[in-house]
Amino acid sequence: MKRLALAMALVILAGLSIMPFFASNYTVTFTFQIFMWIALAQSWNLISGLTGYVSFGHVAFFGTGAYTAAILIVKAGWHWFPAGLMGSVTAVSLALIIGYPCLRLKGPYFAISMLALNEVVRALVSYFDSLTGGGSGITLPPSSSLWPLYYAMGGVALTGALISYWVLTSRFGLRLISIRENELAAEAMGINTSALKLYAFLISAALPGIVGGFYARYVTHIEPLGTFPLLTTITMIVMCLFGGKGTIFGPILGATLLSIFQEMVWSRFLFLHEGIFGAIIVFVILLMPRGILGVLQQRYRLPRTV
Amino acid sequence: MANGFILEVRGVSKRFGGVTAVNRCSLALEGGKIFSLIGPNGSGKTTLFNLITGVERCDEGQIYFKGERINHLPPHKIAWRGIGRTFQLIRVFPELTTLENLLVVASQDWDSSRRRALELLSFVKLDQLKGEFAGNLSYGQQRLLEFARVLMLDPILILLDEPAAGVNRTLLNDLLSAIQGLQALGKTILIVEHDMKVVMDLSEKIFVLDHGEKLVEGAPSVIQSDPRVMEAYFGR
Repeated sequence: MKRLALAMALVILAGLSIMPFFASNYTVTFTFQIFMWIALAQSWNLISGLTGYVSFGHVAFFGTGAYTAAILIVKAGWHWFPAGLMGSVTAVSLALIIGYPCLRLKGPYFAISMLALNEVVRALVSYFDSLTGGGSGITLPPSSSLWPLYYAMGGVALTGALISYWVLTSRFGLRLISIRENELAAEAMGINTSALKLYAFLISAALPGIVGGFYARYVTHIEPLGTFPLLTTITMIVMCLFGGKGTIFGPILGATLLSIFQEMVWSRFLFLHEGIFGAIIVFVILLMPRGILGVLQQRYRLPRTV
Repeated sequence: MANGFILEVRGVSKRFGGVTAVNRCSLALEGGKIFSLIGPNGSGKTTLFNLITGVERCDEGQIYFKGERINHLPPHKIAWRGIGRTFQLIRVFPELTTLENLLVVASQDWDSSRRRALELLSFVKLDQLKGEFAGNLSYGQQRLLEFARVLMLDPILILLDEPAAGVNRTLLNDLLSAIQGLQALGKTILIVEHDMKVVMDLSEKIFVLDHGEKLVEGAPSVIQSDPRVMEAYFGR
């Protein structure tokens, strides 16, 4: 069973790595976006699905990464790849500064504080216009090929999967779940909850930073409103819940299925697609609060680390 | 530990707003014995547990464990110094399996932790349920699981907050013999309990709290005949 899953994963990986050689430009772009969502959903999963600290401002790390990369590329003349990686450095620094005070807040208070963080970062980005171009944003030189970005983003998604696997199969992951399940008991059992929460938060901020950096290179123009939209955070959350929060493959499954679904609906019902997306959210919360994998786990007694 | 006490609570107070939950309370525990803390509802027993384990900070007074002051330490550090506790309202990790509930606590390498966890599960007779989610266990089984989990810490001092509440007679006897087994291993145990039979059977010394103050302390026979205790429980 385990060997079969591994073989399947390798076949999929091999398929994805040779795909740009024969697939259409549209398919490559679309897959690039799925990679992006996989990485984002996985990072949200670490702090919120696993540790139970629901973040409504995760797009702040994405936006911070996007601006970091754009500024390094345009103002400092960096190559896009190291600039994108630097996105994680600023995102993690931001997480370090706000994580310490905010992770003391519980439940809805943490969620709201993260929402506020996103608004603050967006306001700051608009304010420092000499660096960020203010409301009109930054335009990057056009890029010739999507291929390098496709592989880079694929690498980020894969890294996210490997990190999730490592966390969820380790004692660190067990302890994060124990924080979600009962933080007071976890502390009484000798678990340094403040430190572990912060580590989870930092790891979970790193990936969106890089994703944002590569995304800036992809769209070639970023401005505050489009770079820090609440909808991006909501989408991460829904993907994660849809696939199964707190699991390894849940975010991957959720991101892939919902991206495909959204694309199908979007192209057929241009004006209705947001409404349909909303209906999915309601459907998932009401009927499958544990997501697809959660339902399967309950029915078939799969190991928790799926 | 020069004076032989493993835990010393010296003049500790805790106020919540206008309510004084614990008022200049002092008590000292010798190592290797079973103690009980009794008193009417709201007399400050659980608050005292929370102060000892660092969940709450003392407003005044000091707490010493093995001669070291601990009342400024966070809960996880106090736990690793050797004080384990269970909770009045059960706090297992419901979405972890029974076995994982114990593995979370472990500090050694994975294999020996696993061996130790399985040992403890069979000690509380939950080994058949090791793969079950803790949330699916019965109330009494969850109490036993909490009990086993605290032992994963290998604590020197164990605080049990109403261990017998909601546990049926058969399980209770298992639990009582388990507690006595721990004493035989040299552990010190402090129990908060309303079941007087449990208290009188187990403990060598009883502390009675009332309105956050220590009313009396003594052997079970002394406590049973003390008029002040009757008065605290039933009024004058």
